[in-house]
Amino acid sequence: MINLVHNEMMKLLGKRRFLIIGIIIVVLLALFAYAQARQSEAVKERLGEVDWRTELQQQIVDWQNRLSSAGQWREQLEIQIDQYQYYLDHDVNPSEPGAPSFMRGFTENSAELFLPLLVMIVAVDLVSSERSMGTIKLLLTRPVSRSAVLLSKYIALVLSVSIVIFLFALLSYLISALMFGNKGWTAPVLTGFEVRGGELDASGVRLVSQWQYLLQQFGLAWFISLVVGTLSFMLSILMRSSAAGMGTMLACLISGAILSNMVSSWDSAKYLFMVNLGLMDYMSGSPPPIEGMTLGFSLTVLAVWMAAALAASFAVFTRKDIY
Amino acid sequence: MHSKKVRYMTAFAAVICLAWLVGFGWTVKDYLIGSGRGVSLAAPAEQPAPEGQAGKVVALGDSLTRGTGDDEGKGYAGYLADELKEEGFRASMVNLGIKGLTSAGLLEQLGQKEIARQVGQADIVLLTIGGNDLFLGGQTLSDLSAASLAKLEDAFAANLASILETIRSANPAATVYLLGLYDPFRELEDGAETSRAVRSWNARTMETISAYDDMVFVPTYDLFQRNTADYLFTDRFHPNGRGYRLMAGRLAALIAEEGGAP
Repeated sequence: MINLVHNEMMKLLGKRRFLIIGIIIVVLLALFAYAQARQSEAVKERLGEVDWRTELQQQIVDWQNRLSSAGQWREQLEIQIDQYQYYLDHDVNPSEPGAPSFMRGFTENSAELFLPLLVMIVAVDLVSSERSMGTIKLLLTRPVSRSAVLLSKYIALVLSVSIVIFLFALLSYLISALMFGNKGWTAPVLTGFEVRGGELDASGVRLVSQWQYLLQQFGLAWFISLVVGTLSFMLSILMRSSAAGMGTMLACLISGAILSNMVSSWDSAKYLFMVNLGLMDYMSGSPPPIEGMTLGFSLTVLAVWMAAALAASFAVFTRKDIY
Repeated sequence: MHSKKVRYMTAFAAVICLAWLVGFGWTVKDYLIGSGRGVSLAAPAEQPAPEGQAGKVVALGDSLTRGTGDDEGKGYAGYLADELKEEGFRASMVNLGIKGLTSAGLLEQLGQKEIARQVGQADIVLLTIGGNDLFLGGQTLSDLSAASLAKLEDAFAANLASILETIRSANPAATVYLLGLYDPFRELEDGAETSRAVRSWNARTMETISAYDDMVFVPTYDLFQRNTADYLFTDRFHPNGRGYRLMAGRLAALIAEEGGAP
């Protein structure tokens, strides 16, 4: 089995996909880090040299002024204001300057769409490329069962997902440490906010260190990516063409991002996997797309989808005619 | 690719896979099962005001402070900051104005700890308040009787006194500039009457503020008296960029005249 996994890893690493993923991450990171630096410059320009409390208070007041014209975002904005006010009242800086804070924000924003996209680059042609190149026959003529072959491929996928998240973490650390300085690992973060009936519930709030929060974030990002990777894996078995699999998965992810913003009254949409990818929102305390969704619920839904995709993959792969 | 290299990579990938699994498990434990630790938020210590930095201007009040109607979104506070910068004063400008704020709302806002701290750090406090008390979203316009106006004025004067009291107790040294009201409706049918109401309102405001040291009433009524429409935004209520520049110019002159406190 280990040899099979090695074989798969050799193929994956040989394709230089990770290099491409690394380059994509670096380019995007550079863009975001630059935007962030410009943003804080603009604040300085407007307010002068001020401490973070002043900045935060100004931000809160600016949002309060936006409330009347916020329309459907009003509730979300109100929750955000309440949360920041809570930070202010308890004298905790929500974005301590330094690399970890940038990584925190960046991970929060990329976990739902960007990281899954990167994982797709690896996962989507894991099986279908073998078929289109014809190498699958060589693979299956070996004296091992088909399910062992598929399992080795899946393990290689899990390892690749881990590598992608690691690359993401490492590169975002390097670039942001360069731009914002390597400090703030032990800065406190408030977590445990909950949204109940459109109101912010701060009764379960607790303080954690930023490094701990980051590790937990990466854990969740890893899980999200794994789910998307598994589904792409299934598509690469079901579909002959990698492009078709990629297109299908992309459509799902993007529709998830859109649906999350508009399904609040369509209750049963919460069983769709793509509406549940926003796991980070539970950590940061943003309202979920559908009232009543919780971290436990989303994790269960995602796990069920993942298990179903795996079962389908193995069932199809072991029975399919290969020619 | 060398087989050995791949072996290392695979082993390494397995290790980080484990690390992420730990992170994931930790999240599940903390967020689903409960972290076991209660809220450990100590009451925050009092924050001393940072000393020895450049001056600080804090603007409080309603939509006029916010800058509603200005294309550039700066309002008089923003233009004032620009002018002060041009004249070589280094000052930070914090704008805490909230659209639609009434004197009661401002009093409530001043009760917030951080707002009080901001006021406490200020060298100069700018203030616009009363417009929403008087015009009440247009209601007053239909009832300009002396009795109802007097009632509004009394309530406002009481609130204003408390506001100035609060500012003074938060900051015994800052100079406070309170901008008076102008009459945006003077060119309308009832123009004469609304103007009279605004004048009386301003007189009452001036009377109230005169009880405090280092608090200055800055009139704006005269600025908008002629060619009113040219200085108003399309909503015929808030000033436009030109109107705000006039207000800022008046403040800048006052502040510079005092030797540039900031």
